[in-house]
Amino acid sequence: MKWIGAVFILFATSWFGFYFAKQLTDRTKQIRAWKLTLQSLEAEIMYSQLPLQDACRRIADQMNGRLREFLLHFSDVLANGAESTKLAWMECLEHYKKNVSLKQKDLEILMQFGETLGMHDKHSQQKQIVLALRHLEREEQEALENHQKYDRMAKTLGVLTGLLLIILLI
Amino acid sequence: MKEVLHTFSKELCGCLERFFINLEQIEEIRIRIDRPVEVIRGGQSSFIPYIVSEEEGQQILSKLSQYSIYTIEEELKKGYITIKGGHRVGLAGRVVTEGGHVKMIRDVASYNFRIAREKIGISEKYSSYLYDGTWKNTMIIGAPQAGKTTLLRDFARLMSMGNQNLNIYPLKVGIVDERSEIAGCVKGVPQYTFGERIDVLDACPKAEGMMMLVRSMSPSVILVDEIGKKEDVEAVMEAIFAGVQLIVTVHGYSLEEVKRRPSLQPLFSQGSFQRFIEMSNAPLPGTVVNIKDFKGDSLLFKRTVNNK
Repeated sequence: MKWIGAVFILFATSWFGFYFAKQLTDRTKQIRAWKLTLQSLEAEIMYSQLPLQDACRRIADQMNGRLREFLLHFSDVLANGAESTKLAWMECLEHYKKNVSLKQKDLEILMQFGETLGMHDKHSQQKQIVLALRHLEREEQEALENHQKYDRMAKTLGVLTGLLLIILLI
Repeated sequence: MKEVLHTFSKELCGCLERFFINLEQIEEIRIRIDRPVEVIRGGQSSFIPYIVSEEEGQQILSKLSQYSIYTIEEELKKGYITIKGGHRVGLAGRVVTEGGHVKMIRDVASYNFRIAREKIGISEKYSSYLYDGTWKNTMIIGAPQAGKTTLLRDFARLMSMGNQNLNIYPLKVGIVDERSEIAGCVKGVPQYTFGERIDVLDACPKAEGMMMLVRSMSPSVILVDEIGKKEDVEAVMEAIFAGVQLIVTVHGYSLEEVKRRPSLQPLFSQGSFQRFIEMSNAPLPGTVVNIKDFKGDSLLFKRTVNNK
């Protein structure tokens, strides 16, 4: 009986450790996916000159997971006649941010980007995208460092905490 | 009409619906920031007590561009946007220039929604003046709002569809639609009723477009709107000598007045046009005042001319 309990504790704490480690990896991945999205958006705006709703739908085809959902949602909101691009963007972002590993400051960059989306001519729009990309790059760097620093630590800490608890309790 | 209403806020739509039971008769809706909305119906202007705020103006522009201002850069330079359904929205406001040329309209303060309306069949009663086995090169002359484009559009329909009662055979018709006004194309597909034999070069510069059509699409008739620039005139001459029939529209009040325009001189000195249709917006838009032949003699009032 004791041993079954011990196994449960070990599983639980290890799971926590791995969960945090995954959060760190996912944040990097998601920031990268956003970078890719913004780069594609830039191409769609500069070369194909598609309106946002069509551009987002096209980019969504190349994406997956939550980001794809976000893009499709945004495109739908615009197609159904939103009040303004900014509000549509905020609304979709609000929806998107549940269940993602991005931090508040990453989301703030995206919110700021949404403020001016679709409000400018091509070149200003491109500048805004480049600016957002640069911010995201900085965050990506930080996320990557955190990942390298804390990834193994979180995992081992999870397992070891479990072992500690078991030793203490037995 | 619903495409136009779609770009307005719900409040403005509600207000319009309260004041006008029959929205379909509206010709123009003029929106000016911080001023009441003007509606023109049957030539009569009236104001509705709805003040449009700056923010709402922004929203209209953003909706007109499908929330992407960068897609309408070219339109902001020209000063008008064509939306789904072929309606045209004219813009005015603070203009940004670069090197002496208009770069864009930055702060749009006035919007003029011109409701496009197709009048199917209006060209039929004039077709006998223009058609005797082949279509004659024709110039439609009229002031703004006289209905030139509407008549031109119906000629395009009549030509591509043909009409058995009038003994008109369907022909290959090419339209060069620089302002997306004749065919009202959205993504290249015409929004109005045309026959099967129609090809549209949408948003294409007239002069180049006419030559492109002649070379690539082998049309029998080409229709062009608002000839005026020197290169347009050159292209018209080229097309006529290439054996294509042309129907064009020109801004002006009468044939005499148009003849005085220096840029159009070559068209008249060569006698390339055989028919001139003069239109007026009085008493109602779409009134054909006169049809003249290449000598300038009236065909509609033949008897009075002969008696002289």
